[in-house]
Amino acid sequence: MIKIPARVLIVDDEKDFVEIFALRLEEAGERVSTAHSGKECLKILSEKEIDVVILDIRMPGMDGIETLKEIKKGYPLVEVIMLTGHGTTETAVEGMKLGAFDYLIKPADFNDLAVKLEGARKRKDEQEERIRAAEVKSILRKSGGIF
Amino acid sequence: MTASIKNIRLLIVDDEDHFRHILAKRLTKRGMPPLLAANGLECLDILEKKPFDVVVLDVKMPGMDGLEVLGIINQNYPKTEVIILTGHATTASGVEGIKGGAFDYLTKPIEFDHLLKKIKQAYEKIKREEEKNREAEFRAKIEKQLVITERLASLGTLATGVAHEINNPLAIIKESAGWMRLMLKKEELKDIPRKEHFEKALKKIEDGIERAKRITHQLLGFVKKHDIAFSEVNLSELVSETLKLIHRQAEDKQVEFAINIDDRTDTIWSDPYQIRQVLINLFTNAVYATDPGGRITIATVKTDGFVTLTVKDPGKGIPKENLDRIFEPFFSTKAVGEGTGLGLYVSRGIIEKLGGKIEVESTVGKGTRFSVTLPSSLEVSEDLQDNKSICHDILDHIRNAEQQ
Repeated sequence: MIKIPARVLIVDDEKDFVEIFALRLEEAGERVSTAHSGKECLKILSEKEIDVVILDIRMPGMDGIETLKEIKKGYPLVEVIMLTGHGTTETAVEGMKLGAFDYLIKPADFNDLAVKLEGARKRKDEQEERIRAAEVKSILRKSGGIF
Repeated sequence: MTASIKNIRLLIVDDEDHFRHILAKRLTKRGMPPLLAANGLECLDILEKKPFDVVVLDVKMPGMDGLEVLGIINQNYPKTEVIILTGHATTASGVEGIKGGAFDYLTKPIEFDHLLKKIKQAYEKIKREEEKNREAEFRAKIEKQLVITERLASLGTLATGVAHEINNPLAIIKESAGWMRLMLKKEELKDIPRKEHFEKALKKIEDGIERAKRITHQLLGFVKKHDIAFSEVNLSELVSETLKLIHRQAEDKQVEFAINIDDRTDTIWSDPYQIRQVLINLFTNAVYATDPGGRITIATVKTDGFVTLTVKDPGKGIPKENLDRIFEPFFSTKAVGEGTGLGLYVSRGIIEKLGGKIEVESTVGKGTRFSVTLPSSLEVSEDLQDNKSICHDILDHIRNAEQQ
């Protein structure tokens, strides 16, 4: 089976983590971009096509939840996986209510991550597929089905 | 405050037989029959046998005089009040008596009503002291509890903070180790020298990460994390289910369980997952503490709106100095790596979140009993919240009073 690389954006203020995590994901065959803050994340999203954002919840300045809201506002099709290092899963649950695909607890198991990443990418693909199909349908309807 | 004079334990000490008996008669008539002693030695003999509240003591007696007796009474029976009787011309010894710790003195010939009043006053003083002591004891007890609770709370906050801060570097180490493992699997590194040594070291790093992760996650309450979900919980089923989970441990150690479930406690309204986590912890601890061949008793009892589950082990018990600390995070008497010291800390957190309480009683050499009390329905747990705030109000009140 040929692996289709996902375009992943890692967002975490822990630079060492981002660096090594990116190396590992790239090694696993993904196409990785990195950002160290919510602002940087949004900037990259405006410049590049991204499938999945892996987003740390706790960051200085614009935190993960705020960033998530902005992502969903501007790029509703981009899937988000939240990364949490602290006490309660409540924030993660809040994130999922706001449209995040799933969450992971730090330090995360790489296999778990791979599974969730694949799931997120798939959901985005399917969603895009549905949109395409709907578009085709609407074009067909407009043309009355006659070419 | 008028203390009931009926209960005054009164002792009259005077060497004049006539005076003593008349006084006794009149006092009996007024509802406070005294005991009588003719001299100091006799008085001390009686006091040795049973306690007295008030002693009416003549100063001028042959042999041991009143002031001497007073000294001994003060030293040995500090709760007893003494009223001394002095001769007409010797007020000086009365003053000396008060200096020596007597409640008051009267000059002979005494006026009966005057004496009666003094006895009553002395008795009231005793009652006041007792009341004060009781209050102080109660306050000390509550304050001690408060200190423990606050200590736990601040330790908890600290521990969670630390756990969170450690998770980030831990994630970096984990990713780096994972990355190195990935590299070692590469074709180009297939034949590097001492490859197995690198792999062994990596394995140790990974095991270490797992261990640290277990601790931080447990601390943060991630273990089997469910947001509290209330449902009907069948306690006896939950107990036997949990026992199945740990039966191997128990069998290995040849420890038996005796189960004694109150039928009426069968279902309560609570969170089964969280309760199970607590049960696993308590059962595992009990097995750990019990010597081979021992028997652990699990019982439930229903009381007005609550259910109490007790786990009793015949183990070596918890020394007093540890008893206050067992619910602290990281407190463990097990060997390094064997226990995280978080089991009871997390259990306590869970039970309190469910509106219940967890308590421990232990006798060194005999065993330990943990009891978990949970509200059997939701309304009760809400009531409990109210009680809690009332309790806090009382504590605040005490503290404010203290500061003033």
